[in-house]
Amino acid sequence: MEARRMSDRELSRTGPKDSVGFVEYPSDGFLYEFLGTQMTAERDHLAIDLRYVAKTYRRRIHALRGIEMRVYPGEIFGLLGPNGAGKSTLVKIIMTVVRPNRAEGTILGRPMGHKPTLAQVGYLPENHRFPAYLTGRQALEYYAALAKVGRRERKRRAMELLELVGMHQWANTKLGTYSKGMQQRIGLAQALSNDPQLVVLDEPTDGLDPVGRRETREILLRLRDQGKTVFLNSHLLGEVERVCSRVAILVAGKVVRQGTLDELTAASEHYEIGLHGDATEGLSSAVRAALPCELQAAPVGASPFGAAAAPPGVVVPVVVPTERGTLPSGETVEFDGAMVRIHTDQAQAVQPVIDALRGQGLVIESVRLVRQSLEDFFIQAVSDTQNGDAAVQAIRKGGPA
Amino acid sequence: MTQTWAIFYDAYRSLNAKKMFWVVLAISGLVVGAFALVGINEHGLKIAIWQLDTDPLTSENVSPALCYKWMFVEIGIGMWLAWIGTILALISTAGIFPDLLSSGSIDLLVSKPISRLRLFFTQYAAGLLFVTLQVGIFSLAGFLVIGFRGGAWEPGLFMAIPLVVCFFSYMFSVCVFLGIVTRSTLASLLLTLVFWFFVYGVGAAENALLMFQTMAEQGVDFKEMQRPPQPIKPAQPTKPAQPTKPSETDQGSLPQRPVAVPEAELFSAADDDSGPREQVSLSKESAKVPRAMGRSLLKALAQDPQAEGDKKTASGDETSEADGKKHDSGKLKIAHDILYGVKTFLPKTTETIALLERTLIDLAELPKEAFGQPERQNKQAEATKQMVEEIRSRSVWWIVGTSLLFEAFVLAWAALIFCRRDF
Repeated sequence: MEARRMSDRELSRTGPKDSVGFVEYPSDGFLYEFLGTQMTAERDHLAIDLRYVAKTYRRRIHALRGIEMRVYPGEIFGLLGPNGAGKSTLVKIIMTVVRPNRAEGTILGRPMGHKPTLAQVGYLPENHRFPAYLTGRQALEYYAALAKVGRRERKRRAMELLELVGMHQWANTKLGTYSKGMQQRIGLAQALSNDPQLVVLDEPTDGLDPVGRRETREILLRLRDQGKTVFLNSHLLGEVERVCSRVAILVAGKVVRQGTLDELTAASEHYEIGLHGDATEGLSSAVRAALPCELQAAPVGASPFGAAAAPPGVVVPVVVPTERGTLPSGETVEFDGAMVRIHTDQAQAVQPVIDALRGQGLVIESVRLVRQSLEDFFIQAVSDTQNGDAAVQAIRKGGPA
Repeated sequence: MTQTWAIFYDAYRSLNAKKMFWVVLAISGLVVGAFALVGINEHGLKIAIWQLDTDPLTSENVSPALCYKWMFVEIGIGMWLAWIGTILALISTAGIFPDLLSSGSIDLLVSKPISRLRLFFTQYAAGLLFVTLQVGIFSLAGFLVIGFRGGAWEPGLFMAIPLVVCFFSYMFSVCVFLGIVTRSTLASLLLTLVFWFFVYGVGAAENALLMFQTMAEQGVDFKEMQRPPQPIKPAQPTKPAQPTKPSETDQGSLPQRPVAVPEAELFSAADDDSGPREQVSLSKESAKVPRAMGRSLLKALAQDPQAEGDKKTASGDETSEADGKKHDSGKLKIAHDILYGVKTFLPKTTETIALLERTLIDLAELPKEAFGQPERQNKQAEATKQMVEEIRSRSVWWIVGTSLLFEAFVLAWAALIFCRRDF
């Protein structure tokens, strides 16, 4: 927990000095750099500590371009990113399924690629495929045996986990007859079969019905309560928002945002003042007269996706012209239609605006503190960094980052 | 060991789930059952209740134990397991690595605390389980049949297990390599079969060249050999009760598969110039030819030596003829040496299985009349004798060792790809 109190910037400063060598695992042909004996205690406590992780496919497709990421013990960490951002590649590098061109860092305090460490790591790959001839119980016992779990222990855990994921009734049924949702439940149980300290899940709720998703969330929270670390790669932002304490957003092979949900969305906190009445010119004139600052039309495209940049399938609402200004106290204020937004999380800063609006005879319907959702934040982060898919593709093909 | 046992147990479950495993096992049971139905008595072979007149293949000439062992080696192992069984085994196991490498499956395995190298070789060994179980059960059943029906308990029968597994592993290693490269079960299977036929072709060609080379060195006239077969005139009648038939005897007595013949007897006969006993039968000559040799060569051996001798006498210029043959011999030797060199680097499938015959069949027990009649002593016999000597002199190391080296090379290459690949 000491490490948690250190900022990411402080941790970054200690990194390069401690990089003292390379380790190669001949059997896998992996080449990893690792932290030497002077590894700091803070880094030693990290569940996952990645630095300079890079991967290029066929010498031209840059899947990862120097990932820096820290996952603390006992937290649920969410990995987000658009399609093709490199999320699955990163997960596979952590699990030694893919060989990085360069990787520095540790998993559970041991150098990346250290096979024995994987005995303490559970992994649910995306689109996993189990042998159809095994039953659910046999599959759990088989993968637990590969993770070096003793015979008696794996038999006991298999039944426990089948109960946990609600599959005990089908324990002796062949996996080939399972539905996708059932296979996903078995997959989750498989990831827990070795009682891991770190659980890496790639799209764990894929194929699950709402009940299954809820149960999966509960399992993840239970794991967190037991002190396990969960590394979650998911497209479902709502799922991530509900369970993750920290997230990283990956775009075009780089981490563009990383931190706790509070940290990431705090800057977006603002007060919204709802005014009674339709968005008419009269209302607008009254607001302009009330606010103690001059309002100017905000540039088009201030929304997370400008109409032109919106990806296919994303419905962009009709953009109401937004006017923006700066209050004497320094806060930004925006007005569009019947809504006034003040970019501050301080209630005191809002009071003069409320008074001024009321002074103009405007009726206030609501005042509330609003925080940006993870989805909004994600879309903004992706848009800010890459300006759409075209830029992402350009970068992955070797263009400027 | 927990991981190794888990992979082996999983391989067993996989085989258990495949119908092909049980189909092959059932056919093996039928083959062994057929052995058990065959008996031999003083009149010949008896199959269930049907008596066949197979004189001289009677219990007076061939002991029941030897008869069963011969059937086990030639039919059970040589034909069933080494050919049909192996093809079926390849069909069953060709998918092991392509399936392993499929997305979603390989992730679950390589993310476990087991090195890729160990995973690769354990999976490979598990793939050999199919043939090991099949040949193990088949050998045990054969052992019991020979024991109860033939009255001989022959533990050497179990040599079939390592030899057949070795034989299969040559092809399986190629199949694994191709499976890893192509990730396709069908492609790896078909290409492996193509490679197998290539290896077989090289082996057969090498044996044929060796035969021709030896004949050329012995002065056998190839043109004469191309003539249609002439009736054989026995040099000296031996057994009135079993009259020698003309050429059809020679042709007819050619075994479908080469038959082992007492070496010592054969060679001693060839070395001696006089007496009917020393005459070596044509069938025996052909019997000594390794099974890799093509039937065309066997036909070539079936020519009448008398006519050959007459023609040679008729030709006036023996010196120039000898020079020509020497020249031919030199060219054949070069060609043979090249093929022999190529073969050294390839798996020797036929020879590996033939080792079982060397181990099990006591050549001295075989009857002189069982596979033909002593007829002739000539240059062809000398050539055949030399060729057999040459082939028999090839060591187990050359046959199995170099084949295993080939397998090791292919596996190392496949393992390298497996260990360094991103999945």
